[in-house]
Amino acid sequence: MNVEINDLTRRFGRNRAVDEVSLQAGAGVFGLLGPNGAGKTTLLRMMATVIPPSSGTLRLLGRDPGSYGPRREIRRRVGYLPQNLGYYPGFTVAEFVEYFALLKDMPPGRVPAAVAVAVERTGLGDKARAKLRTLSGGMLRRAGIAQAIVNEPELLLLDEPTAGLDPEQRVAFRALLRDLGERATVIVSTHLVEDVGAACTRVALMDQGKILFYGTPAELTARAEGTDAAGDAPLERGYSAVLAAARIGAGARS
Amino acid sequence: MTGRYEMAGDHDDLAGRGRRPGDVDLDRVWLGVAAQVWRRHPGPAERAAGRLLRSPGLARALVTTPSLLAGWLIATAVVLMAGLFATLGTGTPYVPLLAPAVAAAGIAYAYGPGIDPAWELARSMAVSDRMVLLARTLAVFAVNAVLGLAAAAAGAAAVPTAAAVTFGWLLPMTAVCALALAAATLAQSANVGVAAGVAGWAIVVLAGQSASGRLTAVITEAGLVLPYLAFAAVCAAIAWAATRVPRGTP
Repeated sequence: MNVEINDLTRRFGRNRAVDEVSLQAGAGVFGLLGPNGAGKTTLLRMMATVIPPSSGTLRLLGRDPGSYGPRREIRRRVGYLPQNLGYYPGFTVAEFVEYFALLKDMPPGRVPAAVAVAVERTGLGDKARAKLRTLSGGMLRRAGIAQAIVNEPELLLLDEPTAGLDPEQRVAFRALLRDLGERATVIVSTHLVEDVGAACTRVALMDQGKILFYGTPAELTARAEGTDAAGDAPLERGYSAVLAAARIGAGARS
Repeated sequence: MTGRYEMAGDHDDLAGRGRRPGDVDLDRVWLGVAAQVWRRHPGPAERAAGRLLRSPGLARALVTTPSLLAGWLIATAVVLMAGLFATLGTGTPYVPLLAPAVAAAGIAYAYGPGIDPAWELARSMAVSDRMVLLARTLAVFAVNAVLGLAAAAAGAAAVPTAAAVTFGWLLPMTAVCALALAAATLAQSANVGVAAGVAGWAIVVLAGQSASGRLTAVITEAGLVLPYLAFAAVCAAIAWAATRVPRGTP
């Protein structure tokens, strides 16, 4: 298993952004669904080793990120696209991807070819030498995805990767996700249910820091059967049904 | 292995196997060409820094420091202000001893989460963000020292403050930062580098104070200890908050 999480909790003051979450993930595309504020981004940030957990255990690629040596090794093999991608406006796309390839400790001799592959795979070949400040929001997002995949990561963490992409780019991106998921563990945080249905083999639904559902997209769809859950698509109705059931349960307990 | 070498190898391979042009994998050829066309050629300074620091990533961070304009301007302003205070000649060693803490806090803020747009990404990289910050600190002091020397050579030496800041602060601190980065590279630990830098600067300041007989101020003005310690703690807290890293970082 590339990701092994047991009772993982992250507190910010009194707020439990992630509350005793347990899950495991091997190769494949794994969707993290949930409304805004569900804890998806915090969970991804812990997996990206950006913030440490408050309690619980986290093992990534068979290593403990709590120690310096294993964490450095993990970081060499992880790709991460944050929700709010920060970038240096004066860098070109190729320079931006190259900079993070070097900070990932990639052997310098491999970097130019890896940059070319990552830039082409994200469809930015004709913008490789354009400054980032001249790009549209969708292109910037793709530049962020390029830096995340430049090291051919074994664990790829993408936070809202399709935000800003047009429909054609989203279809191409889902194909890229499926391709990457054949070898690596790809975890995609999103609130766009159709992305999950089209690209993910497994899905977890989070709300208020907890995982409410874990299974295949088909199993999530089946949760809507016999309910009048809202939604325009079967998967969306399954999503709404699980959320509604959890909220009714929480209301009854309180 | 360079792309050029790979492409030459492909030609030999094609000739050897007698493949028709129609069998050529154009995607692979294009990627080889693109890798060469988009490839950035590091300058001699970056190549030398990469060898010395044993990390091309750290060398790239070092040379790109001045181009990150917002952070650069803030860091430079704080460093020059700290330099002004450090070279005031107050008769007490506290001021020059505390000045690096002010500079460190300013640089940590300038290249920290509040200003550096790619901070979140940098936090997830194999090259530790504290090592990157040490490299950026050296860049800030070194470039300002060069500018100070250029200004002195151009006649600004007539302004005693500029000369004092350059020779009494920027140049020695550049040496101290280089020492800190060298120690951090050897020990593979940013904390060891910071300790080496602090020790180096303390020796420089205390040796200077001792030579001028002003070291006794530590005893005669003992009432200053508490406020200075409190100020140092605030600076350290700013630097810590801006560079907080997960448990287990050396």
